[in-house]
Amino acid sequence: MSSSLEKNMLILRSSDGEEFIVPEVVAVMSKAIKNMVEDECASNTIPVPNVDANILAMVIEFCKKHDESEAEAASDLKTFDSEFVNRGQEALYDLITAANFRDVKELLDALCQNVAEMIKGKSVHHIRIQFLGYQLFEILTSNFIWNIWCDRDFD
Amino acid sequence: MAEDQTLMSEDDERASPSDLGGDTKPRGCAVAGEYVSPFPDQVLENVLENVLLFLTSRRDRNAVSLVCKSWYRAEALTRSELFIGNCYAVAPRRVTERFRQVRAVTLKGKPRFADFNLMPHNWGAHFAPWVTAMGYHYRALEKLCLKRMSVKDEDLELLADSFPYFKELVLVCCDGFGTSGLAVIANKCRQLRVLDLIEDEVTDDEIDWISCFPEGETCLESFIFDCVECPIDFEALEQLVARSPSLKKLRLNRFVNIGQLYRLMIRAPQLTHLGTGSFSPSEIAAQGDHQEPDYVSAFAACKSLVCLSGFREIIPDYLPAIYPVCANLTSLNFSYANINAEQLKSVICHCLKLQIFWVLDSVCDEGLQAVAATCKDLRELRVFPIDASEDSEGPVSDVGLRAISEGCNKLQSILYFCQRMTNAAVIAMSNNCPDLVVFRLCIMGRHRPDHITEEPMDEGFGAIVKNCKKLTRLAVSGLLTDKAFSYIGEYGKLVRTLSVAFAGDSDTGLKYVLEGCSMLQKLEIRDSPFGDSALHSGLHHYYNMRFLWMSSCRLTRQGCKEIAQQLPRLVVEVINGDGEVEVKDDCVDILYMYRSLEGPRSDAPISVTIL
Repeated sequence: MSSSLEKNMLILRSSDGEEFIVPEVVAVMSKAIKNMVEDECASNTIPVPNVDANILAMVIEFCKKHDESEAEAASDLKTFDSEFVNRGQEALYDLITAANFRDVKELLDALCQNVAEMIKGKSVHHIRIQFLGYQLFEILTSNFIWNIWCDRDFD
Repeated sequence: MAEDQTLMSEDDERASPSDLGGDTKPRGCAVAGEYVSPFPDQVLENVLENVLLFLTSRRDRNAVSLVCKSWYRAEALTRSELFIGNCYAVAPRRVTERFRQVRAVTLKGKPRFADFNLMPHNWGAHFAPWVTAMGYHYRALEKLCLKRMSVKDEDLELLADSFPYFKELVLVCCDGFGTSGLAVIANKCRQLRVLDLIEDEVTDDEIDWISCFPEGETCLESFIFDCVECPIDFEALEQLVARSPSLKKLRLNRFVNIGQLYRLMIRAPQLTHLGTGSFSPSEIAAQGDHQEPDYVSAFAACKSLVCLSGFREIIPDYLPAIYPVCANLTSLNFSYANINAEQLKSVICHCLKLQIFWVLDSVCDEGLQAVAATCKDLRELRVFPIDASEDSEGPVSDVGLRAISEGCNKLQSILYFCQRMTNAAVIAMSNNCPDLVVFRLCIMGRHRPDHITEEPMDEGFGAIVKNCKKLTRLAVSGLLTDKAFSYIGEYGKLVRTLSVAFAGDSDTGLKYVLEGCSMLQKLEIRDSPFGDSALHSGLHHYYNMRFLWMSSCRLTRQGCKEIAQQLPRLVVEVINGDGEVEVKDDCVDILYMYRSLEGPRSDAPISVTIL
């Protein structure tokens, strides 16, 4: 398959074995992949472990858009980003993991900004429930008391 | 409980420093087999510092830091803007140990009543220990804002020497320094963009400080010195303005006359904010009959001007000069301009976009009616008294307040000094201005009732807390019974700051407030009949508050002592306002108390006793 591949194209193989043919310029928006390409430790087919086809497709969609739209208005791209990252928590976390470990800076920034938006205006209690998924902190331990104190004074 | 503790320790383990440290991202050629799928909450931890780059508000930051220990650490590593509401609540060392990357600091010192000479001048709030600590740990500091701090010339010198990237200095209501300190800042902070001196008490060291800015083009964007009560070297100022192409905000002191103002405006037509200085001619110019500059065209040329203040020694004949800019103004400060209703009307009728307006009560109810008729976008109004004495006549009243409420429905903030008020006018405002966030009504004569019905002002203030659902700041005055306070306790659920002067009739009043206002942060009370039992009713809440001030109330030292014993994290200061050693047996002149991580401070003067 790799022999028939056009120049400047790469194949990415997801953890569940699906293959995606993408332009190299798009693929190397992942620093991790870029390093592999530069270090020549990759054949034309690059395995992307721990990222399943579903998430990999999303990452590729994002990178393609960002590659194409260099000339496009920044505001359009912003709209795309905010729509792109607006997903359920599970997909969001998978995307963050993928973006973080594959080192895709633009995507990671967009995702992190989205998380920040979710935190804004929330109480400590709500942040814990939403992001940590449990409520153990309802009981304050003495260790943590001084932090509480401290933060009131930065308010 | 046991289960919770187990979970807690698990959390502690996962929050090992390696989760947060710099290089957590695996590089290319990672071997697939090593990878372990992270816990859901660890996904966020891995990128938390990146998330925090997008969180800047201090409320959000504080919330994040309290989520768990690892979030606390990540937050501390990435906070670049620091706000400290009370300089005695935390010590500089604790701050610099926790936050390492700070670029901007806001620090507040004395309580607000210090502005009214209610506390000894040497009370404290010294900047020195802070600048010493920050100079050592925060070399990258760029911005500093101090409010009601005691700042010495040496502190300013240390500041100028410590922060090579320093860009913004804002001093509000500070004292203790002079023009020689300013000279050092001007001379040494080469990248200075903002030097804002606002209502400071600055000593005249007879030094030509404005000449101390270095030669060549400056980075100045904002230069505010209207509070500096010293003659200035005008030639130096003119040259400074000429070589500051980025200057957008300039507020002159009263020693700059209107002829000099003209010369500055010609040089800086790009200004957006302007404080005019005296707005009267020099004595020589006033006597001579030479031709006056064309002030109108100078103002007309300042097409970007949106904010106008100054007018410190105004000669109203010159007011027509500002007509050309009125249509663009969003902010106009006439709080030093002794002008009458007619003079105000000639200006205000052009000010259709005005959002912030400060004025003296010399404009009378009639002037306020003109404001109400024109300024439909008004958000903030402050009306100051020209004569603040208790038995002055008071040229503005319920008539002006009612007119404003009817004309300016977008009003969010009002400060209103008067002598005569009615419940009906205040109720009208509560209905007409539902967006009010700040309502400060000061009826200057003590214990004045509704001047028409002779009833207490209870219902008026009651309507404000009932109808203005966004209210966070309230100042009450006039004849008030416990009923007013019961309304505040019942409805003032968002009130964070409450000021009470010469009001209330028993301890019950304050109890309502302390039991009801769960968001209360700052409570300042003077000359009101509240005693120990009222004070004790707030025990459950004092740790939540930034401070409580009570002066000339009915507190005993014993009562205050009991609070101090029951709440060990509270610093309870008993102050003799005259600055003398506290001698009176059991009567407390001033109580000022605040929570603190550090316990009693060591720099209290002799007039302060910490219980």
